[in-house]
Amino acid sequence: MVFEFKFPDVGEGIHEGKIVKWLVKEGERVKADQPVAEVETDKAVVEVPCPKDGYLLKQYFKEGDVIKVGQIMFAVGEEEEKAREIDQSEEAPKKKPVSKRGKEEKSEKKEEKMEENSGSGGRVLATPATRKFAKDRGVDLSKVKGSGPGGRITIDDVKKYKEGKGAEEEVHPAAEVRGEAREEHVKDYGKVERVKASSLRKAVANRMIKSAYTAPQVTHMEEVDVTKLVEVRRKAKEEAEKRGVKLTYLPFIIKAAIGALKKFPQFNARYDAGNQEIVYRKYHNIGVAVDTEDGLIVPVIRNADRKDLIGLAKEITRLADEARKKKLKLEDMQGGTFTITNIGSIGGTYATPLLNYPEVAILGVMKIKERAVAVDGNVENRQILNLVLTFDHRVIDGAKAARFMNELSKRLEDPYLL
Amino acid sequence: MPRKKIYEGSVEYLQILDEKGNVDKELEPQLSNEDLDKMYRFMITTRTFDRKVLSLQRQGRAFTYAPVEGKEASQTGTAYALKKTDRVFPSYRDHGVYLTRGLSLKQMFLMWMGTEEGGRMPEDSGDFPFAIPIASQIPHAVGAAWAAKIQKQDKVCAVYFGDGATSEGDFHEGINFAGVNKAPVVLVCQNNKYAISVPRALQTAAETIAQKALAYGFEGIQVDGNDVLAVYSAMKSAVEKARKGEGPTLIECLTYRFGPHTTSDDPSKYRSKEEEEEWRKKDPVVRFQLYLRSKGIWNEEYEKKVNEEAKQKVEKALEEAESSIKIDPTDIFKYVYAEMPEPLREEMEYLKRIGEEKKEAHGEQNG
Repeated sequence: MVFEFKFPDVGEGIHEGKIVKWLVKEGERVKADQPVAEVETDKAVVEVPCPKDGYLLKQYFKEGDVIKVGQIMFAVGEEEEKAREIDQSEEAPKKKPVSKRGKEEKSEKKEEKMEENSGSGGRVLATPATRKFAKDRGVDLSKVKGSGPGGRITIDDVKKYKEGKGAEEEVHPAAEVRGEAREEHVKDYGKVERVKASSLRKAVANRMIKSAYTAPQVTHMEEVDVTKLVEVRRKAKEEAEKRGVKLTYLPFIIKAAIGALKKFPQFNARYDAGNQEIVYRKYHNIGVAVDTEDGLIVPVIRNADRKDLIGLAKEITRLADEARKKKLKLEDMQGGTFTITNIGSIGGTYATPLLNYPEVAILGVMKIKERAVAVDGNVENRQILNLVLTFDHRVIDGAKAARFMNELSKRLEDPYLL
Repeated sequence: MPRKKIYEGSVEYLQILDEKGNVDKELEPQLSNEDLDKMYRFMITTRTFDRKVLSLQRQGRAFTYAPVEGKEASQTGTAYALKKTDRVFPSYRDHGVYLTRGLSLKQMFLMWMGTEEGGRMPEDSGDFPFAIPIASQIPHAVGAAWAAKIQKQDKVCAVYFGDGATSEGDFHEGINFAGVNKAPVVLVCQNNKYAISVPRALQTAAETIAQKALAYGFEGIQVDGNDVLAVYSAMKSAVEKARKGEGPTLIECLTYRFGPHTTSDDPSKYRSKEEEEEWRKKDPVVRFQLYLRSKGIWNEEYEKKVNEEAKQKVEKALEEAESSIKIDPTDIFKYVYAEMPEPLREEMEYLKRIGEEKKEAHGEQNG
């Protein structure tokens, strides 16, 4: 029986190799465990042995060819047997499952096209560090000539290429093509300027799409009388200042929110649509939306329920500083269970925030304003805070949201409950 | 105010059988022909197994593998000096230790084919599965030895590690406790000159690794790690000493791995051809053959027979392993926690889901 040998991962997570030399010719006898070819990978040149005794019927690649993991490399069998002809371009295993969406197919085609264009006839050889270096600088590696072993592209090659090419290559061609592909029905009726979206912009865009098209969202709004809180905070602020801590209203609001979350745990949950389960999170990591030069980011205060006001204030200062300096670590932005967005620091009366998916609730905090309010038949001067709560209607109903808001209001109206 | 020498230590080097086959009659261990035959067979089985797994890895039938060829004497020589009831704590290159301890070839294959079953030691064995993190097994072994001492059990622990491990905190913490508590443990360092690619000279400024034991208050000895007789003798006296309650010993075996660090390493980037050839001449198997010949055990026919038998055993075990292999990808989540934490369960569910999706996509492609 003809045995077709598929090129395996001969290293640790390699994807391809170059056939350096065939050690057994077609038609020659070969024994089990006998090396058939030398293959060069990113790491080393290795000998690939034959798993069976027999005759080497066919070599499907020539010396110098690049072979991908999973492609049929050679066939062994009895002397009189014949190996089939294979068009390897069709046999190459697809990395991703076949997608029905046009976008991905297009980008795959684009990749294949780039491979054809590269002079060597295969994928370009470069280390991950070089690939990143090139990507960061918008250099298409398939256009760079490699000076390393086997035509491998080095960082120096990329630098040289970039120096030689100048500014015209700045725009990443692949990104441009993808952008056009998605927007083919949109026409412009005047002069436009195209600005490449930053990676943060793209991330925000993707997350908002996910949020808007996954969770049906409703926003509940409320006015809260925080006259007492304003007084308490004024005093506490002075105390905090002595200890070098800047105390805003946010720690108070976080405290109040955690109290309400503990009473209504479904607001600290998420919805597992696959299993149709509500996943209650037994920890309270509060995300705080921060506006930076580049756009919105949401650092997370871990285990916020275990921190006191001063502890929260310190953590907020740290996260906001690091966010502005772009020094936030990934773990500072992951694992949130509930988000607070302080829209009021900029302005507005009401807003309808979008969920920070997969969280099921987000609290928007507006500006505290002095208002004339009727209290027991008299008009009084009160401090009013508008709060808005967007929730995921799959998990939470409007009545529950109103109760949550009442609980939150109660805690903010009487700050000694905090 | 005096200024005087208050400590002086020394470290011995031991070689009994040299490269030409000359034996130091005074130091020669008293091993029966039966013992010698067994030891040689263990070494040959180790080498046969090693070459087979390397070949399997290159065919995609085994995962990343750490070849052992060149260290057979260091491993069989030490493991053979232990009792069945003693315990070993090997690292990932100590296939010869396991085989000499009697672990089945089938299980050895399963280990390197990525099954959970492969890492589970047999019920009646006190030996540990191999440690992949560097030096993490040293505190384990010292702790186990100390426990055996407290419980008055007759158990000596032997722990295996490389030259690179001696730069780790775990090594120092572990051997300090071994010294302080006079734990019945033997610390076997197989110094093969390179920690992956870092040469020994960049690992420590000390002249030997053995001398590090002195700082922790016990004896260290350096042996020719390719001389199975020296390795066995040093180990035997260290094990006897430990069994008598006289504490630990550090044995530094000077040896060499002929192959790469693992199947994804290219040693030509950090070792010269000349150096490799120089060490090939010190092949522990060839040297042992010279000794066995002088004892009237070894001849061409014997060599053929031993190799043929080893090959048959290895092939048979491979067949058994490959036909019984069951890999469930979700196994990787299962054996760390007694109760699986929620985030881990979610990851497992996710993996299952994408597995299903892939299957579906694959079906569509074929249909």
